Amino acid sequence: MVEEQAFQTRYPDYNVLDKWSSPDWDDQTREVVRKRLEEIPPIRFFTQEEARTLAAVAERIVPQPDRGEGEKVPVVPWIDEKLVKDERDGYRYEELPPQREAWRLGLAGIDETARALFDGKSFVELDPLSQDVVLTHVARGDAPGAAWERMPAARFFKSVLCITVVKTYYSHPLAWNEIGYNGPSSPRGHVRKWEGGADPWEAKEADNR
Amino acid sequence: MSEKGNQDRTLSAPGIHGECVPMRDLSREEVDFCIVGAGAGGGVVGAKLAEAGFSVVILDAGPHWNPVKDFVSDEKDSRKLFWTDERITGGGDPVELGSNNSGKGVGGSTVHYSMVAMRAHPEDFRRLSLEGAITGADMQDWPLTFEELEPYYEEVEEALQISGPTRYPWGKRRRRYPQREHELNASAQVLVRGCVKLGIPVAPAPIATLSAPHRDRPPCVYRGFCNYGCTTNAKSSILVTYIPRAIAFGAEVRPNTMVARIEHDERGIVTGVLHFREGGRELFRQRARNVVVAGYAVETPRLLLNSSSSLFPDGLANSSGLVGKCFMVHTGEQVFARFSERINQYKAPPPGGAITEHFNRTMLDAGFVCGYTIEVVGPHPVDFSARLATARGMWGATLRHTMLDYNNYSGLGIVGEVLPQWGNVVKLHEKERDRYGLPVAHVLFSFHENDERIIAHAKEKMREIMEAAGGEDVWSADRTAHLLGTCRMGHDLSDSVVNKDCRAHDVPNLFVCDGSVFPTSTAVNPSLTIEAIAARTADRISEMARRSELMPV
Repeated sequence: MVEEQAFQTRYPDYNVLDKWSSPDWDDQTREVVRKRLEEIPPIRFFTQEEARTLAAVAERIVPQPDRGEGEKVPVVPWIDEKLVKDERDGYRYEELPPQREAWRLGLAGIDETARALFDGKSFVELDPLSQDVVLTHVARGDAPGAAWERMPAARFFKSVLCITVVKTYYSHPLAWNEIGYNGPSSPRGHVRKWEGGADPWEAKEADNR
Repeated sequence: MSEKGNQDRTLSAPGIHGECVPMRDLSREEVDFCIVGAGAGGGVVGAKLAEAGFSVVILDAGPHWNPVKDFVSDEKDSRKLFWTDERITGGGDPVELGSNNSGKGVGGSTVHYSMVAMRAHPEDFRRLSLEGAITGADMQDWPLTFEELEPYYEEVEEALQISGPTRYPWGKRRRRYPQREHELNASAQVLVRGCVKLGIPVAPAPIATLSAPHRDRPPCVYRGFCNYGCTTNAKSSILVTYIPRAIAFGAEVRPNTMVARIEHDERGIVTGVLHFREGGRELFRQRARNVVVAGYAVETPRLLLNSSSSLFPDGLANSSGLVGKCFMVHTGEQVFARFSERINQYKAPPPGGAITEHFNRTMLDAGFVCGYTIEVVGPHPVDFSARLATARGMWGATLRHTMLDYNNYSGLGIVGEVLPQWGNVVKLHEKERDRYGLPVAHVLFSFHENDERIIAHAKEKMREIMEAAGGEDVWSADRTAHLLGTCRMGHDLSDSVVNKDCRAHDVPNLFVCDGSVFPTSTAVNPSLTIEAIAARTADRISEMARRSELMPV
């Protein structure tokens, strides 16, 4: 496990939203990103307890210790919305139940694993290191818990839980900023596409200025 | 069951520049051809049949996109382009479907494809003759030869204005591409540098994206969002090429139309299709003298199987028992490496502009037949982070730290041949139903030993190329691409579902025209071959009509 040192971005002065009114952003993209920033959906699918567990799990899958409460990239609300609308992915592994059931069962399973490994404590009650131990067992498929007899833990972790949390995080402009992703690019596009090349509107690295 | 109204009512369809274009309403007519699916197969065959004077309606389960207004520069929002309805995937090596390989909407998967526009090679049409029988595989020669398809490759390359090199080094000598090649992007420079160091021949890639203006479409500006819909119309998808042609020649393109079943009379002659419209639960009937199924290799067999009847108890056109059998994909192994220079892999078309078919050949010393092509890939962050999570098992601080170097990673990917196997199937799921109550597809897939040897070889070669180019932290991701087989073409019911004209052996006025008809997978991207087969099928149908060989007259 890598130490949670600061997530040192190479692009400290870059903010993709600075390009909001530039030729890189068209109206339809502005609308989509505006909603992502401003219209964070309320929790409607998960119970309060499930939402709390998932928030803790998401914080371990994509930790954001560098951001205070209220500043973090929201993950749970968007997964909740996917499930409220029952937006599927176009395929489901045979061994998994339909997604709503899989999420409920999986979050219950994570708590069962936590209680089995750590003296009856729920996942949210554990310290981050113990939480990682729980998730490592789930990811490896050797986690204790009745839920995992009905649904393979490793498949749930890889193909449902982890991938959805990760994709949700990297859909957010804050994530784009830290990795220097150019983001929206219509209609302007790009000119300098060779190695080491960067258009003036692309993210600049700190030591390159 | 059908709407009342004026026979000559005119509809309007989205044009490619945000305008509306008039379109005929054929919903109350018995049309000459009803085509199910508006992608690489259905779009091409539909446009050409309309041009030949037939009345044509093309149905698609998804929307008719307006490229300049509906497509967005955002990965997450682009989920609307994909077939996200449930399908069940299993077998030894379950295939990822959805955004990986399945479009939904007029233009089909060409709306999100990576535009690599390659011809199959003469050898690809006679693999059984060349390689002999292979244990565990069901190799078959195509009933078509390369020479029969060659003029149609030229035709669709011209229609799509493929950009490519003056001299392409692999395959049969060909005339130059209609448009000049694209400038390499950074990931393509990496491939070229690695290959040159290792002595592996490499060439500019043929790509279905304009490098120069063509009619009312501008050249590519290298947005890099090709897999999420092109907002400038530089990308030669079926949506902006053949579909406008079809509408101009009087075809109706009907979006948001889910076909439930194909109907037939007591003789077993197809009479039309029953379909749902705009998400409603009311069934509509489209009468047709001929039906062409072009839903790609999962939805096509699903529709045929869902159209079973007392006359066709095992599914329409399935007296051979081969509908849904020999489902194939391509191995799509990807290898990524980190470089000291910035790559910015999100820039430019995902195929980058370089390619090598050096390993697209039987290499018995390496233990495999057929082979693979190496191409350039350039996933955006959502996709790239998902690869790190699933392929490398990365999460937590490690994932976030690795992603900080996103701009310095470069990627390669293969299109590897997958051998046909009877055990790889698309069938109807026993319990699962979609929102219309129709049984969903159950897809079972396992690699053949030959496929696994290709994957291992390709992984090693791509690693060598990345290291020769100066890459560090080299890692690979297992992937598959494309959907093929399930209604293979052949000579008769003993070996196939359709003949070389894509006409069902069992039903004379039913055609299948998409990637389903491939008897073997080839080791190149399939869109151009699907389009060439569709173009040929349309010509063959016109020819048959002239000879009064179409049924029923």
